[in-house]
Amino acid sequence: MRTQRRRTHRGPGSWTGLLLALPLVIFLAALVAWPLSHLVAAAAAPAGAGALRSVLAAGRYRTALVNSLVLSLAAAAAAVLLSLLPAWVLARERFVGRQLLRAAIAVPLTFSGVLVGFLMVVLLGRIGAAAELLRWATGSDALSGAAYTAAGLFLAYLYFEVPRAVLTLEAAFRRYPAELDAAARTLGAAAVERLLRVRLPLLAPALRASLALTFSASMGSFGVALILARRFTVAPLEIYTELTGFLDDAVAGALCLLLALATLATNQILARSAPR
Amino acid sequence: MSPRFARRLGIASTGLVAAVLCAPVAITIAGAFARSEWYGRRSEGAPVQGAAALFSYVIEIWGRNLLRSAEIVAVVVPCALLLGVPAAYAFRRRPFPGSRGLEAAAVAPLAIPGIALAVSLIQTAGGLPRFALLAAGHLVYTVPLVIRTVGNALEGYDPHLEAAARTLGAGPFAILRRLVLPLLGPALVLSALLVFAVSWGEFNVSFLLATPLVQTYPAALYLTYTTNSFPVAAAATLVFLLPVVPAVAAIQGLGGEEFHRGPQA
Repeated sequence: MRTQRRRTHRGPGSWTGLLLALPLVIFLAALVAWPLSHLVAAAAAPAGAGALRSVLAAGRYRTALVNSLVLSLAAAAAAVLLSLLPAWVLARERFVGRQLLRAAIAVPLTFSGVLVGFLMVVLLGRIGAAAELLRWATGSDALSGAAYTAAGLFLAYLYFEVPRAVLTLEAAFRRYPAELDAAARTLGAAAVERLLRVRLPLLAPALRASLALTFSASMGSFGVALILARRFTVAPLEIYTELTGFLDDAVAGALCLLLALATLATNQILARSAPR
Repeated sequence: MSPRFARRLGIASTGLVAAVLCAPVAITIAGAFARSEWYGRRSEGAPVQGAAALFSYVIEIWGRNLLRSAEIVAVVVPCALLLGVPAAYAFRRRPFPGSRGLEAAAVAPLAIPGIALAVSLIQTAGGLPRFALLAAGHLVYTVPLVIRTVGNALEGYDPHLEAAARTLGAGPFAILRRLVLPLLGPALVLSALLVFAVSWGEFNVSFLLATPLVQTYPAALYLTYTTNSFPVAAAATLVFLLPVVPAVAAIQGLGGEEFHRGPQA
């Protein structure tokens, strides 16, 4: 189909296309390709190579990168699991207030990390609402200041990832052919068998796509850690500290490069053969 | 478990997720209108005299940031459309050798952490005026949304319509004005709203690129969260939310596809 279309427009058509896309080409070359290739080039230079080695050696830089990876993977997995049911309900059920629920889940998508961090403080800060509620109900201070721990960071990541996962999965679930389910049932497949042999294979690409999306969102998340991270550090925060605190461009650049590469690579692995 | 019970359980748990997501927002909004003694005083020590005084104080201290964000959005929305719409049309209707690779390259930055792009922009194009650099950073993360939204819309209608119009004697501008643009109308509105929502909330790129004079509103939110008292922070948050909530509602009303790809957290 696509090749056929391409063949039809070979010749003058492709020149028109190139002309129409030319501003985009210039834009991408100047503001994405050039800056990012500079990161690579700087890391290859002697000073940059030294910085890259110090980042990869055991220490706080590597810890920050590993923390980012582990936290992002864990939060992405948890967010996708939590989002399965809401996404299915929004995609397949018709009920009063559905649009309102969908909008309520979608609004947090626009929240920058600092806002999410602030909302976590509102809930789980030293005098956060949930913390105070627990204190009032049981007298326990267990939740007071929980926002500032690694668990609080994980919850904050969940907060901004669940809306992403719900909306991604919802779009996929809406395309899910329910008649296959019915066919499997008619053919005598039990519930577990239907889940394992019909639903999961059909939905696996969508699950991987939403994992990839939520994972990259977490890897880049900077504002949340800026507000919440105390003894726990993640890569974007470390980049910021290097730049503004130690004025170390080389280390910041090396961290940026590794963070971007780790994100893109994991994203590619997760999203492999996912629908576009 | 009866199907009806399962359905109710599903709807209830969806409602629960929405409620948990909205709870801290609701508390924050309530905080902006609550009596201030409940939370203490303003950072300068003066008591807050009612919500009106609180909001005018927020505008007084962060008005410049609000204006900068409005200016950025006013530049980024038309520029993103101008860059993205013709390219999306080219990718779907006038593909050229390498156009698929170019499309993939245009969407790829969505997976690149904003702070990494900001650092690389400072290191290479740091000499540009900061406002232009900020707008550029926003464009990198919004143009892909335009390309995908408009691309989806173009796939949604028969390309032969344009061929038919051409056969009937319509010139390229007549086809554009009377066929393509009307058919793409909803997608263009959706794109503009997506770009607005993302650009208005963008922090990761903006915060590093910002200077004291050119700072967006989300950067002001960071400062208010770290320096002001809760009522001031809550009121500032509400000011941020005011344009976002209608925009998201409109995005949802138009189908809301591609929205989940948009903002970085």
